Amino acid sequence: MNRECAVISGMGAISACGNNVAETLDTFSQGRRSGGRISLFDTCLPYPVFEVKGLTNGRDIMRTLNLAFIAVKQAIGDSGLQGVLQDFRVGVCLGTTVASQLNDIDFYREYKNTGNASMHSVERYLKGSLAQAISEKLGLAGPSCTVVNACSSGTDAIGVGLSWLRSDMCDIAICGGADELNRVPLAGFGSLGVASNSLCKPFDKERSGLNLGEGAGIIIIEKEDTCRKRGKKARLFLRGYGLACDAYHLTAPRPDGSGLETALSRAMDEAQIKPAQVSFVNAHGTATKDNDKVEGMVLAKVFGKNIKFLSTKGFTGHTLGAAGGLEAIFAGSGLREGWIPASAGFTNIDEEIGIAPVCQKTEIIGNCAVSTSLAFGGNNSAIVITKE
Amino acid sequence: MNIAGIGIISNRGRGVQSLEKALEEGWIPPKDSSYCVSEDIIKDKVILKEARRADNFTKMAVLAGYDAFVDSGLPPEAKKTLGIIVATAFGPHATTFRFLDDILSYTDANVSPTIFSHSVHNAAASYLSFMLQSRGPTLTITQFADSFHQAVILAQSWLNENRCDYILLGSVDQYGEVMKYICGQKLKIADDGKIRPFSFSKLPVVVPGEGSVFFLMTNQTTSKKYASLFPPADANFKKPDMCILDCDGMCGSEEAYLSIKETGALVSSYVPIFGSMLTVSSFNCVAAALMLKNQCHYPTPIQDNPHGLDLCKIHQPAKIDRISCIKYGCKREKREFFLEK
Repeated sequence: MNRECAVISGMGAISACGNNVAETLDTFSQGRRSGGRISLFDTCLPYPVFEVKGLTNGRDIMRTLNLAFIAVKQAIGDSGLQGVLQDFRVGVCLGTTVASQLNDIDFYREYKNTGNASMHSVERYLKGSLAQAISEKLGLAGPSCTVVNACSSGTDAIGVGLSWLRSDMCDIAICGGADELNRVPLAGFGSLGVASNSLCKPFDKERSGLNLGEGAGIIIIEKEDTCRKRGKKARLFLRGYGLACDAYHLTAPRPDGSGLETALSRAMDEAQIKPAQVSFVNAHGTATKDNDKVEGMVLAKVFGKNIKFLSTKGFTGHTLGAAGGLEAIFAGSGLREGWIPASAGFTNIDEEIGIAPVCQKTEIIGNCAVSTSLAFGGNNSAIVITKE
Repeated sequence: MNIAGIGIISNRGRGVQSLEKALEEGWIPPKDSSYCVSEDIIKDKVILKEARRADNFTKMAVLAGYDAFVDSGLPPEAKKTLGIIVATAFGPHATTFRFLDDILSYTDANVSPTIFSHSVHNAAASYLSFMLQSRGPTLTITQFADSFHQAVILAQSWLNENRCDYILLGSVDQYGEVMKYICGQKLKIADDGKIRPFSFSKLPVVVPGEGSVFFLMTNQTTSKKYASLFPPADANFKKPDMCILDCDGMCGSEEAYLSIKETGALVSSYVPIFGSMLTVSSFNCVAAALMLKNQCHYPTPIQDNPHGLDLCKIHQPAKIDRISCIKYGCKREKREFFLEK
């Protein structure tokens, strides 16, 4: 196994928690939760969501792409690569769910009613292929690929970027994910009975489902050699990625959690670390009954009952394809800043899970964090991030 | 990496033999101006027993993926180190539109969870992993015209990293009522049912198609091998014995393909058999693999040749060591991979 690591040289984030990483950390530190009724479209559904405020929808650009552009720009700025990106072989790998689907309800209604719908939303969709659009906008010539692995897409996109670097397909990769709030997943998760009528409570005994969110989380990863040559000090590293499939059910996780356990094991094996070296886990923690039960059980089994872990979805909502990108940033920031926030929404331990996430802002001592993602289709993904 | 097994679902049938027969027979007129996969082709009560609620998008992928694994002759233990990479341009859009039908008919609060869960792009990969009980890395990617090429790059990366020993690398795309409308608005549908790959026109014609192709890929030595497949980064620069072109009309102007004339290469294209689709490169890749394995030329099905290319015109034995598969995207960006004997 090629175990070369990558430097995380830039990060950009936008979500309901804030329009950049600093604002997000401030929100975490204050414990502010901004979930509320959806304003982006009319719906009879009562589920609270976590919207990005103040983002104007362009007529010709998908909201998801707009979110991605903002986070990409931040990440490039953070990495010090602005103006010189084209000097390198740069790949773009981003995860999404909504941007991959042609699901514009106004187009479809018009088509059904008249058989002759305006093609405007189709054109917008065709211009919204996430990785391709970013790659073209930045004038990049490296590999470019949009991952559509449902809710683990962002984490998997980061894993693909790491594979590209290890295979010398590129020197730098722009990775992560983006997704907008959209009627289809809102109605879909509602129909599955996994959307909550109140603010979500990941890992809590009284949890009643997820809240959807939106945003983008983008990281720049590069070969150590590339980073060194351009004089950038490396502070965070992506050391391992594991991906395993449950081969069990389209929407439910395998009850024994063995898929997630395998993904964790593969990621830590690549990173050459033991579970005891992990300082904390940024868990997927959607607040659905099944996800949190299986994930909590696996975390306890792999890392022991004293592992520090949290779900940040109580702050961001479940941002689907963006979640893995955002949570990689939250994991990296936890290491860099030396603290993680309280797991928002958690109050009471669930005996069936047996372990509790951190209930207050918690100091982090150590160099290693893990971020997990679980998804429709039985996908389980994990990455290992370390500092210096 | 080596192609050790192939599975294919196209309008011409299921399996490698169906394609060999189609390559020998050549072009046949489409039904209703498109090359759709009939329900009979994807009827398999045994393999699809657990996927009976799945849509045709998933069924095509599951059957092609399953067949590729069986075709490879690998033992069941190989599934322990098997990865799956599925490339699609548009995903299961027909199911997404069914879900929108639900919303329009019954409101946001009364939609079908089954339809929703099947509308996600990775539903096909999920079913395939379940069918094979393969618990390795499983990924679905999309990149419109580039989807299959990016999947090839990723497969090579995974094998190089030893992330898995074997990969089911495939593509799937579907045609449907709404896509018919969109194609009609954006593209020029061929009046006579013929895609003309060598017209290199500014406004080429299309005949939409659908289907799925899977390859069992490995870096290891296997008892069965069709050919080796190389993404551009891993390719050497030996001159190919022939070039297969993906000009099916889906990416707009095909003038960029004119540069192939200067090379003097023997040229072919099998897209008139499969129909136009953004993942058509994977279908041409099967034709290339079969030519290398069988050491024969298959005739290019539509032989209109206004630019005087050296076309592969007849079915005959041939010594072929290396084939280049070339695609130009909507912005004239060149994509290429190579197959070797």
